[in-house]
Parts: sequence; C-alpha cells; structure tokens
Amino acid sequence: MADKHQHDVPPNPYLEKRRTATETEALEERVQQLENLLTEKGVVSKKTLDRVVSIYENDLGPLNGAKVVARAWIDAAYRQRLLADATKAIKELGFGGLQGEHMVVVENTATVHNIVACTLCSCYPWPVLGLPPAWYKNPPYRSRIAIDPRGVLIEFGLELDDSIEVRVWDSSAEIRYLVLPERPQGTEGFSEEELAALVTRDSMIGVARVNSSS
Amino acid sequence: MGGVGALPRRSGELIFHDQWERRAFALGVALHEQGEFIWDDFREYLIASISANGDISEMLDSSGPGYYEHWLAALEKILIKKGLITSSKDLAL
Repeated sequence: MADKHQHDVPPNPYLEKRRTATETEALEERVQQLENLLTEKGVVSKKTLDRVVSIYENDLGPLNGAKVVARAWIDAAYRQRLLADATKAIKELGFGGLQGEHMVVVENTATVHNIVACTLCSCYPWPVLGLPPAWYKNPPYRSRIAIDPRGVLIEFGLELDDSIEVRVWDSSAEIRYLVLPERPQGTEGFSEEELAALVTRDSMIGVARVNSSS
Repeated sequence: MGGVGALPRRSGELIFHDQWERRAFALGVALHEQGEFIWDDFREYLIASISANGDISEMLDSSGPGYYEHWLAALEKILIKKGLITSSKDLAL
C-alpha cells in the first residue's frame, strides 16, 4: 500500500513522515473516541486535558534545568545542596512534580563525564527538562549508550579524552537524573541569567558540553 | 513550514507531532494525576509494549509502532485493567 505524501498534513520538522495519512487518521479517531468515552463518563474533564497539554507545551522545558545549573555554578552552597538532595534544591527554584519526585544531580568534572538514559523506555526529568526528544526514546540511543557511550557521544560531536571516566545513569522506575555540566571557561563575571542562557538541554542529558557562547 | 512553524518549540523541536499524540499524552498524565493508576504500573505496560513490538520505530522506512503508539496501547491496557473502559472494542477499532 503506497500512500503518497498528503499535502494537507504538515511536514514533520525533525524526521521524515513515517505514518501514512490513513494511519494517522485512524489514530486520531481512536484517541478522540477514548477521550470522548472518558469525558462523557465524567472520569476526566476536557479542561483538565487542555491544561495538561498547555503545561507540557509551554511551561516545562530545559530552561528550567538551565536555571538550576546556573544557580549551582554561581552559588557554591546551592551546588552542595543540589548534590546532596536534588529534589529539594530544585524545588527551591519552584520546579517539581510529575517525573521529578526523586531527582539526583550528577556533576561533570575534569575527570568525570555523566550521561543519562532510560534503556527500557523514556524516563526523563520532566519538571526540569520538559519532554524528551525523539532520539532519547529511540533504540539507537537507548540500546547503545550503556554499551558504547564514547561511540554514541562521538555521533553527537563530543569526543572525550581517555583520561575522562564516563558514567552512564540508567533511569530506574523512580530516580530521574540531571547532569550538572561543567561551567565553561571564559564565563567569569557572567550573571546567572547569562549563564542559564548558555546551558543546553543536551548538556543536561550529557551528550554535549556547555560552550561559553550559545 | 506554515502551521508547524507556529507551534511552540523547546530546544528547537516539536514536542508533539500529531494531535492524537498530544491528546493521548494528556490523557495518560491527567488520569495518573487524578490517581486512576500509579506511574510504575503504566510504565510497566509501556515497557512491555515497546519490547513486545520490536522496540520503537520513529525511523525512516519503518512500519513499526512509534513511541506514542506504545503510549496509547499502554494507556488502553491500564484503563481496561482499572475498569475505566471495558475493552478496546469500546473504541470501535
């Protein structure tokens, strides 16, 4: 069955269209029916559902995590608190909730580089990073990161010296990890806001470093 | 990019590609937040779906299920388990 590109469907900006329009329509129908069933039964309200979508599309994202990182770089006492009890320290900045109930922050140093993955599914610290990118959920990353982390990092453009120890943190059912990347050289005197602007999502997953210019 | 360009982005990527993904995700989160099921139970169904169906196929030239299809399958299973829907037949698939 060869469905050609449907011109009324917006193009996928980050990967080629995988489903046919028929398949997509069937999924839209299926989810709509599920939603109707549950809202009609009074199990959940449409307003609640709309609000969830809004939160995850607008309020949550890596900008939250960037603020945590910037605070840790600027404030040594905060950094200590973050490493000792990440959930509590992250909450100080107002972030927390679903998929961030048990946070652990792992710190990159000159000799240790940390990477986070969920080899079984897609566990990810939503309150500080939002929802994970597609590559984080896909087999090429998930199945290979624990076996060949240096090889995977090279694919992301990051080559680590042999003297650096690589630690891969596989998210368990409960714990969600956030990498505290190294503060880049040449950022002395930067304000907390300026530092936060440099911190990328990928650096907080551990597949990239932070540069002094974003 | 038209309509796609108007959608919000985080780190330069769309969070949801299709509307059904958005709604399926919202259903899972909302129902969990309401206490209809615990996350670990949902996660187990998610993992089971992923491993049973040859993992995730958000790739070119693939006909396997993508991430949110696994999410949806897990959601339907747990809702049936909790008696919130009677069976997938409710959904007239």
